[in-house]
Amino acid sequence: MKKLLLYIFPIAFLWMISSCEKDISVDLPRPESKVVVDGYVEAGLPPYILLSRNAGYFDPIDTAALNNNSETGAVIIISDGITTETMTEIDTVIDGNVVKGIYTALGMIGTPGRTYTIDITTLKGEKLSSSTKLDLPVSLDSTWFKIQDGKDSLGFVWANLDDPDSLNNCYRWFAKRIGKDDFFIAPFGSTFEDKFINGKKFDFAYNRGMIANSDAEDDNNDEAGFFKKGDTIVVKFCSVDRSTFEFWRDAENQIGNNGSPFAVPSNIKSNIKGGLGLFASYTATYDTVYAPL
Amino acid sequence: MKHFILFLCILFSASSFVEAQNSKEEKFTLSGFVQDSTSGEYLIGSTVYIKEIQKGTNTNAYGFFSLTLPAGDYNLILAYIGFKEQVISIKLDKDISMKFQMKPNVIETKEVEIRAERKDRNVESTEMGRVQLDVDMIKALPALFGEVDILKSIQLLPGVQSAGEGNSGFYVRGGGPDQNLILLDEAVVYNASHLFGFFSVFNSDAVKNVTLTKGGMPAQYGGRLASVLDISMKEGNNQKLHGEGGLGYISSRFTLEGPIQKNKSSFIISARRTFIDLFLREPFVKKGSALDGNSYFFYDLNAKVNYTLSQKDRLFISGYFGRDVFNFKSADTGFKVKIPWGNATTSLRWNHLFSDKLFMNSSLIFTDYKFEFGAQQQEFDFRIFSGIRDYSAKVDFNYFPNILHNVKFGMNYIYHRFTPTNAYAKSGDVVFDLGDIKRLYAHDAAVYVNDEWDITEKWRVNAGLRGTMFTQVGAFTRYIEDPSFEGKIIDSVVYDQGEVVKSYAHIEPRLSMRYELTRTSSLKASFTQNYQYIHLTSFGSVSLPTDVWVPSTDKVKPQFGTQYALGYFRNFKENEYETSVEVYYKDMQNLIEYREGASPDQDIKNNPDNNFVFGKGYSYGAEFFVKKTKGRFSGWVGYTLAFTNRQFDDLNNGAEFPAKYDRRHDVSVVGIYELNKKWTFGATWVYATGDALTLPQERYFQSNGPPVEVTSSGGLNFTNYFSILSGYGKRNDFRQTPYHRFDISATLHVQKQKKFKSEWVFSIYNLYGRMNPYFIYFNVSGNSVDGNFGIQAKQVSLFGFIPAVTYNFKF
Repeated sequence: MKKLLLYIFPIAFLWMISSCEKDISVDLPRPESKVVVDGYVEAGLPPYILLSRNAGYFDPIDTAALNNNSETGAVIIISDGITTETMTEIDTVIDGNVVKGIYTALGMIGTPGRTYTIDITTLKGEKLSSSTKLDLPVSLDSTWFKIQDGKDSLGFVWANLDDPDSLNNCYRWFAKRIGKDDFFIAPFGSTFEDKFINGKKFDFAYNRGMIANSDAEDDNNDEAGFFKKGDTIVVKFCSVDRSTFEFWRDAENQIGNNGSPFAVPSNIKSNIKGGLGLFASYTATYDTVYAPL
Repeated sequence: MKHFILFLCILFSASSFVEAQNSKEEKFTLSGFVQDSTSGEYLIGSTVYIKEIQKGTNTNAYGFFSLTLPAGDYNLILAYIGFKEQVISIKLDKDISMKFQMKPNVIETKEVEIRAERKDRNVESTEMGRVQLDVDMIKALPALFGEVDILKSIQLLPGVQSAGEGNSGFYVRGGGPDQNLILLDEAVVYNASHLFGFFSVFNSDAVKNVTLTKGGMPAQYGGRLASVLDISMKEGNNQKLHGEGGLGYISSRFTLEGPIQKNKSSFIISARRTFIDLFLREPFVKKGSALDGNSYFFYDLNAKVNYTLSQKDRLFISGYFGRDVFNFKSADTGFKVKIPWGNATTSLRWNHLFSDKLFMNSSLIFTDYKFEFGAQQQEFDFRIFSGIRDYSAKVDFNYFPNILHNVKFGMNYIYHRFTPTNAYAKSGDVVFDLGDIKRLYAHDAAVYVNDEWDITEKWRVNAGLRGTMFTQVGAFTRYIEDPSFEGKIIDSVVYDQGEVVKSYAHIEPRLSMRYELTRTSSLKASFTQNYQYIHLTSFGSVSLPTDVWVPSTDKVKPQFGTQYALGYFRNFKENEYETSVEVYYKDMQNLIEYREGASPDQDIKNNPDNNFVFGKGYSYGAEFFVKKTKGRFSGWVGYTLAFTNRQFDDLNNGAEFPAKYDRRHDVSVVGIYELNKKWTFGATWVYATGDALTLPQERYFQSNGPPVEVTSSGGLNFTNYFSILSGYGKRNDFRQTPYHRFDISATLHVQKQKKFKSEWVFSIYNLYGRMNPYFIYFNVSGNSVDGNFGIQAKQVSLFGFIPAVTYNFKF
């Protein structure tokens, strides 16, 4: 809801603009090289960290670039407050390509209530650190599919949340249609905190998220943003720590504000000392929603 | 305060000393009001000049002047832009008080102007950085969509910058948008624009006078660092009933004015409304098209009455009310939005002449600005609102002890009520906890004295002091944040209603002086210090109706500005050409911005100032101005060279950065040509260095969610998609391409009947169709999953070649 304002003005404005748009070339300075942490601790799973480097704004992006940017050979020490381990770098196959720069500690399993800290030293000697706390799970009370007014077969997934009466609970929502989506997809505005809903029990709804600029048919026709009668939807509802909430709140604002003449460009708030990115924590609960035919 | 009283004493003893010195000669006072003979409107700032002693004055904001002179025969010269210069022989052997009528210039009479060798005001006065604009001239200039706009005309002056393409917002000498004090009949107008800044709220048909002060601010003004834009509404024709109106692309207008009792009282009422909303529905907009469900309109109402109660008393009541309303309804998703916002002002003023040397005006003023946003979707209901409301009282005296002095003193008091961003939300029956309605209160008081004093023939000073006091009072709750967890409230301090939270008191010296080099040239210098106790904070990069005014609090210190300026003024060809060069340096302390990444929801259930960061700034520059004031062809060329920078410890890693409105070069060329009785032509050309922007410089990947999944066989599967995120470079480090534009207009005056005049105004905005940058964005196509990711920078331009026709009439 908070993003409404940031959206309405550009929308109001669009009808005033008579498509006076042209491609330009912009000469941007090269950024200094920085290490990017894409780290996760998920309850019940070993921690994963993908290390990469930033790239120039206009540099090409493809799997080859991804590999070129990955940061191999780093030493990562992870602690959950009880044990300390050095993470091992593993080769992971993504889309049939071997991706370097992924580190894990298979002897460690994400346990809610614990705080995880990492210390990273790259081959070049750069030092980074971060920590994240794995929160206790908060499951949804119920979930259901509801046809949107004015639609025949399209609707949103609704849920009822009973927020615990303690401040600073943060959440993130993902959903995946069985047989249709390859991933759990976070819709726009996927993350929220309990500042305004602390201790309340209430209904809320999410539209169907999509991968940015997806060229899938149902992301480009009337179905875009909607779930449909007949879908089986798995909702992954996560408790996240505050840094994870802040990072994705800012990241979604950044993506959403691109092109808005009113927004102030700003950097995403990161919990990584000495680099970019996020060391995130997720404690997930799952619900399956069937949208009856 | 002590200093202030001391200063008052010195001032008055000095002036009585001067008087005592000359007391051998018998002296009399010539005073009165200067009026437009056709409408009875009092003329503000007209020149009143005594030929014999080559000294004079200007009428004040109520058309009054007073001159005390030795007995004798004098030629009194009255001059005012757009009016015929008059010479009146006066035998001053007693105090004389009268009304002076001036006749408007009529184009066809190639009048033999009486070249009384009067010095022109711009050379003679101590005023620097002060410009009075003629409303008729503003109307002859080309305008966007033909919609005459006072604020956009002001942007054509050196030292004043436009806030962007088609925008009525303005920046003065490197100051922010909240540092301009905009007054309409003495009432503060907090948000002077409609439609996200494209049109100003001032209906030029209802406006009599526009004066902008961008430097050397005299002591009667205060509360802002950069400028004062003082707009006076017409009083209404007290001779005969008279109407005018117009039809344009954007809005239609109608004004009616006339006497209530001839010569004694009059009224004016003026209305303006847009009709875009009528065209944003069927049959003009098809169902389901991009525009379907949108509706927008704005309107303005101005009204004023005045009564002459006696020779010495006059009463004015004036008001303004304007609203913008935006509606959006999506048939598809049931999403509904309504956004109304606008200003309301009322002022009640009483002019009284205690004697022919002492003029008083006292006012009671109310002003209110409101913004609201309401959204609804199915069971979800959301409302956000903000605003500011002032109740104020002031009294101003104008004292003319003798011809060498023009003293102004007075005091004012404002009670502010601020409503920073408040919100209400519910889903079904569950009301979200967005906190109680949060308001802030403050007392704001000032006393001032100002004397314009001719020390010698060559030296004149304008010295003033302003004492200001600002007190934030309860009810107020100060939320205390966890220093390591932004936005997490760990404690609060509650102040009761009326309890003092924080108080500030300051003395603001104002000094400007003029040294006359020759009859037609002078040197001027000024030094002013100002405190600004209320602040506008914006989440966006431009001013929006969502911007919120906040007071100085225990956490927010008043903004403090010091300005030094130096100027050389020279006129040529019997004042036909006025030229000037001014240089200035300005230092600003305690400036405010939202911290990086702040968004409006973070103000809710918190104090907005917990999200502020504080810094400083400075600006300097030079302004060159050449103006042709008389003849069929008139106009000006202005050039500004300027630099303005900011430094905030918590922004841009603490490094200095150019302000958004840092504009190196700014040129305006304005011309008006009166061909004959029928045709008047206008043209403007503007050029400005491109805006400073912050652009991304790096990109990085982040998995959009936990990347590991447990497969049905119990194994681990690495599966996810990446988001591509950007990192921004140095703040305002990039420059857009320069902005330039040429506009023309032609006005055809038609008079078929004696009592009915009409005119057609044809204008073309952006004649050579320059695609000026409005903003830049990066179009992202494809995605990392499909491996077809691409980024292209795009520049969006707003207004290309835009012709417009407006029809105006008068009876």
